[in-house]
Amino acid sequence: MRNLLRFLKRYYYIFLFILLEGISFYIISQNSYYQGSAITIFANEIAGKISTKTQNISHYFTLGSSNESLAKENARLRSKIENSYVKYQHKAFQYNDTIYKQQFEYIDAKVIQKTINKRNNYFILNKGSIHGVKNNMGVIGPDGIVGVIINVSQNFSLVMSVLHQDSRPNIKNARTKISGTLVWEGGNYSKGKLIDIPSSIPLKIGDTIITSGFSQDFPEGISVGKITNFQKDKGTGFYVVDIKFSVDYNKLEFVYIVKNFFKEEQQQLTKDIKNE
Amino acid sequence: MNKDIIVGFIHFFVIAAFQVFILDGVHLLGYINPLIYLWFILMLPTNTPKWAVLLLSFSMGFVVDIFAGYIGFHCAVLTFIGFIRPLFINIFFSGKEIESNLRPSIAEMGLSTFLPYLAFLVFIHHFLYFSFEIFSFSEFFKTLLRIFLSSITTILLILLFDFLFFRKRK
Repeated sequence: MRNLLRFLKRYYYIFLFILLEGISFYIISQNSYYQGSAITIFANEIAGKISTKTQNISHYFTLGSSNESLAKENARLRSKIENSYVKYQHKAFQYNDTIYKQQFEYIDAKVIQKTINKRNNYFILNKGSIHGVKNNMGVIGPDGIVGVIINVSQNFSLVMSVLHQDSRPNIKNARTKISGTLVWEGGNYSKGKLIDIPSSIPLKIGDTIITSGFSQDFPEGISVGKITNFQKDKGTGFYVVDIKFSVDYNKLEFVYIVKNFFKEEQQQLTKDIKNE
Repeated sequence: MNKDIIVGFIHFFVIAAFQVFILDGVHLLGYINPLIYLWFILMLPTNTPKWAVLLLSFSMGFVVDIFAGYIGFHCAVLTFIGFIRPLFINIFFSGKEIESNLRPSIAEMGLSTFLPYLAFLVFIHHFLYFSFEIFSFSEFFKTLLRIFLSSITTILLILLFDFLFFRKRK
């Protein structure tokens, strides 16, 4: 008994070390297998509350650029509303409310904490479950695609940005309509890569890349970036394309969370196929 | 002793806040991500009890993790650093320095003793953290570059702050 006690006294910190490492790895496994585990929701809420305070200060430094991008977006939207068009053929443009059914709704939010210098980057937004935010909703900024919600607490939500190794949104070329996948390989936060674009259809430098609308998270036509360079990969028959993101993630401040009213219906459809 | 504890708490919050709100938001050439928060563990006085070092490592890792969005990595890696710290203290510091309860810093140890201790632990920490974060061999050389550049930046930052803020304790 005395030997046991002496043994414990001498090596207790090894047991403490194993215990603490055990807790760490348990949390890591919780993170990767269950989205929205209790501990990540708790952490999200705390980080959100504290970051809101610091964000209020740092917010002033980016005010100019975020105002500018919001104003640009306003101008773009204003040019799309009915008042900006002159009706040419009155018979063809019949206004009928029942023709359109709203598919997407946007929840405005503010980025209160973000990283951009890691291999996998996350943003925290100031809207949570009480504002109607749910997991797997897409997030877009005034200038384009931002990421996907992966964790929601009561007042805050966590976004896996496109600057992440697991982020693979479906995109297409606005000119040729050929779709592919956007990936980010780390390093510069303003440069992304496109893969899975077949090399049979020619590309041009400067082509605009937009979201394809195939994934249920983003509406079609959200800006992603412009092609800066491309190469044919001889082995696979696909292009390797470099793009410049249209969003400056370093200055990003105001974003919209995309709510897709048809998402469940669409998921149900694909689920039925998988089950067969 | 009491004074050391209070000073320790202040260090904890200042360093954590600096890491989370300033360093995590700065973009340096894409590959540099300095992790200065481990300085807190490195500069604990040499006779701090081992259990305290472990618990402090875990808490510091947890706080940094909360703000990084993905909990667990900083915790696991920093706890390991807290665990191997006594070993490195025994290797790099002489018996007299350990007994007299010095704070590992340039002012109290001299650069030639402090730098190897700092460099080894920072490098081990960064190596583990960045390999963990990627968790695949597909970007091996990029990860190595990231580890190398970030370690050097962290070491330089720690040396700079140490030089600026720490004087010899009475």
